Amino acid sequence: MADEFIKGFAILTGGLLVWMTFAAWYNTPDFYGTQLIGANPEDPGTYVSMALLVKEAALYFALLGATTFWVVIPASRRAREYYASSN
Amino acid sequence: MSDNEPQTDGSGPGIVAPDDEVPSWRERKERTTGLSRLTYEYFERARREDQDLRQESSYVERDVLGFPAWPHETIRNLSLASFFTGMILFLSSMLPPHLGDPANPAQTPEVILPDWYLYWSFGLLKLGPLNPELSILGGNKLLSDPLYGVLANVVVVGAIAIVPFLNKGSARRPVEQPFWAAIGVGGVVFAFTISALAVKNLVPIEPNLLFDLTFLLPFVAAAISYAVLKTMREGYMYDLNRRYYRLRPPR
Repeated sequence: MADEFIKGFAILTGGLLVWMTFAAWYNTPDFYGTQLIGANPEDPGTYVSMALLVKEAALYFALLGATTFWVVIPASRRAREYYASSN
Repeated sequence: MSDNEPQTDGSGPGIVAPDDEVPSWRERKERTTGLSRLTYEYFERARREDQDLRQESSYVERDVLGFPAWPHETIRNLSLASFFTGMILFLSSMLPPHLGDPANPAQTPEVILPDWYLYWSFGLLKLGPLNPELSILGGNKLLSDPLYGVLANVVVVGAIAIVPFLNKGSARRPVEQPFWAAIGVGGVVFAFTISALAVKNLVPIEPNLLFDLTFLLPFVAAAISYAVLKTMREGYMYDLNRRYYRLRPPR
C-alpha cells in the first residue's frame, strides 16, 4: 500500500510540476490577476501548440495516474480478494 | 488424499524440518544479487559494527538505534540537499519572475496586516473585550487594552516556552495521553481561531459571534479529540501497538 501511495504521489507531483511550468509560461497573462489557468495564447505557433499539448497531457497524466494508484488499483485488489473469498 | 500429505499450493501441513541443505533466511537474503544484496550487506555491516561497539565498550545502551554521521547520514543529506537545490534552480529558471510594483512610501495601504503566520499574535492584541473593568476603580481599566494584548502574547509565548521543561519522558502516541493530546488540539485550534479574529474584517461572520467562537471552538475541539482518543484506547490493535511501541524504561 505504501508503494502504491508513493507511486501515485510521484506521478501527481511530477506531472503537476510539468503542468505548472507550461501554465506559467503560456497561461499567466498577469501576475495581479488570473494565474496558471488563464486563456491559451491566441494564434499559437507550432512549438507553442506542442507545449500546450504537453501541458494538457501532463495534467491528465498527473490526475489519472494518481487516481489509478490511489483508487483504481486498491479497489480492484479489494474486489479481487472479495470475489476470491466468496467463490 | 489424507490431511497429512503436503500440498503443493502451500496450504496444509507441508512444513518440514530444515536440514543442512535448506538455506536459512539469512543465506537466502545473502544470495540475492544486485542493489538489494548491496543494501543488505551495507546495513548488516552497520548493524554489526553497532553491535560490536555496544559489546566491547562501556557505551550506554540506548533505546533508539542511530546510524553514524558518515557515510549514512551524510549521503542521505547530500541527496536531499541536491534535490531541493535542483528544485530551486528549476523553478527559478523555468518560471517567469514575479516583479511587483515598487512600494509607494507616500501612501498607506488599505489593509494593514502582518504576515499570515503572525495573525495569531495580531489577534491577541484584540482582546479588549476581555480586559476587565474594575468597579473599585470606577469602571476604569487596570491595564490599557494595548498593554493587555501585549501581556496576552507574553502569556501564550511563555506557556509554549514551558513545554520543553515539562519532562514527559519519551514521546508517546496521542492515544496514550488523551488529556495532553486534547490540550494540544485545543491549542492548535485556538491558533486558527485567534488568527481568524485578527482578520475579522475579512471573515464573513458577525464580529461578536466570531469573538465568542474564538474561545469556544478550542474547548469543543479539545473535548471531541479527548473523547475520540479515549474511545481509541480500547480494542486489540491498541494493546498490540502499545506493546510494540513501548520503550525500555531508562536506567
